[in-house]
Amino acid sequence: MAALLELQSSSKRFGGLLANRDVSLTIEAGEIVGLIGPNGAGKTTLFNCITGYMHPDAGRILFDGTDVTQARPERICRLGVARTWQVVRAFGRMTALDNVVCGALQRTARVAEARSRAVELLEFTGLGGRSDVPAATLTLADKKRLEIARALATRPKLLLLDEAMSGLTPIESADAVTLVRRIHDELGMTICVVEHVMEVVMPLSHRVVVLDYGVKIADGSPQAVVRDEQVIRAYLGERRAAR
Amino acid sequence: MPGPAPSRITWITSVARLALVVGALVAIGYPIPLQLQGYTYYQTVGFLVLVNAMLGVGWNVIGGWAGQFDFGPQVFFGVGAYTAAVLFVKLGVEAWLGLLAAVVVAAVMCALLTYPLTRLRGHYFAISTVAIWMIAQPIGATWEYIGGSQGLFIPVKPRGGVVDSALSLQFSGPTKAMGYYYAALALFAVTLALMAVVERSKLGYYFRAIRDDQEAAEGIGIDSRLYKVIARSITAAVFAAAGVLYAFWALSVFPEQVLELNWSTLPIMATVVGGIGRLWGPVLGAVILIPISQIMSTTLGTGPLAGRGIDLIVYGLIIVVIAAFRPTGLLSLPWARWFRAGRPATA
Repeated sequence: MAALLELQSSSKRFGGLLANRDVSLTIEAGEIVGLIGPNGAGKTTLFNCITGYMHPDAGRILFDGTDVTQARPERICRLGVARTWQVVRAFGRMTALDNVVCGALQRTARVAEARSRAVELLEFTGLGGRSDVPAATLTLADKKRLEIARALATRPKLLLLDEAMSGLTPIESADAVTLVRRIHDELGMTICVVEHVMEVVMPLSHRVVVLDYGVKIADGSPQAVVRDEQVIRAYLGERRAAR
Repeated sequence: MPGPAPSRITWITSVARLALVVGALVAIGYPIPLQLQGYTYYQTVGFLVLVNAMLGVGWNVIGGWAGQFDFGPQVFFGVGAYTAAVLFVKLGVEAWLGLLAAVVVAAVMCALLTYPLTRLRGHYFAISTVAIWMIAQPIGATWEYIGGSQGLFIPVKPRGGVVDSALSLQFSGPTKAMGYYYAALALFAVTLALMAVVERSKLGYYFRAIRDDQEAAEGIGIDSRLYKVIARSITAAVFAAAGVLYAFWALSVFPEQVLELNWSTLPIMATVVGGIGRLWGPVLGAVILIPISQIMSTTLGTGPLAGRGIDLIVYGLIIVVIAAFRPTGLLSLPWARWFRAGRPATA
């Protein structure tokens, strides 16, 4: 069976900086894949290429058998990829409910139907009590949940979470991990999480992909990846790796 | 003691409903005492309030909901006025049919002109809308077919009675001001009702999503360029309809009149003063601002301060005060709380 998402030697250059170099990876339906790497490793660039906000300079991206290398973000969303943002992008002047309604309208033109779907998703993400609050006034943790609810409302096949846990307190972060698990287990969603905090990704992911300076340096089970010499070098430096 | 939230919400809606009914009755009854006393000038002020309110409600779609600063919608006021005038003068097409044609022509023309502009964002988009208006002016002034700078004169055809006048949008004689007032009221009401539908539809949600965060909107599958074009075309359609009404009231269409900057600045100011992004904001703004400019220019305009532009100064001051202290507009003030404070505690 073909993979849900397949990157074939995707490269992206910003002037003299090679943000992604020949990155190849696959995500199978039903997986939770962790995409990790130190700051500036090219994780968000990779996300931007997958979701159509940027286009790779070389290589191909296939989603569900369709070539989406040059596709626009709205088309990729319609094909079934939804994302959240490292720096939250809620629709600040709209209520939490209306934010999610906008997502749900992707699959129905009827506002009433979109509303009932949005109410369900706000309950699911634990924002049921906040539905009439302007999104700008939510806490960071709630905004991140709202982005997840809005993304889920578009009925994606693949959910890409860009640092859904960064900037949160340990308790909020634990709640976010629980939510991601529930999205996988109860909704059967395929998920890719970007994170630079190892402790969050390792227990959550079935498989971990490591980027460093734009290059994929490891791809495997969390247990295998943490013992990988190159990964240790990237995270902890040469001396630790030599021991 | 504040009551529980649900009862407060129903109470607010009932106040809003009462205001709506009273407002509608005032709007309908307004010209009648004036007609009996022969003050047709104030009916014309009412006409201009309604035209500007209608334009403001239309501009709110692109400027308030979609959040794109469009300073060139008056182009489509002109396009509408000219389309209906050409059809009437050259082909004998009656006004209401001409109005339909004008709306379609303006919306299509706006879509074609706006699509390339949607590559631009923020100030650059705003400047490009002004640029299109600047290009439209010399075209209007030099195109022979539409009369160049002389424009077109719309002849008054003899009409038999009120019904015939209403059906042809041609009122004359002592009831002219009243006739156009009611025509404006009808067009305004239709515009407001249609925009209320747009606001609650998928379009309304998508427009506001693009305004709040274009990238995030694209990420949930919204084609931002397409929906900006739709928003501006709706605005253009409203401006075109108002342009037709104005042309038949003025009995003429010429570039300096229908392509005038005021056809965008007054509605935009009315929207900002009343409450940008709120359906009724432009209506409140127009009711406040238009009479001020009209009445002040006639009273001060003939008094000792005549010709000094005092009316414009006062007008500008009001806008500065509102922009400084309540940039989200008068409708955004905590009316519900104030109304509640003045109400005996029953709950």
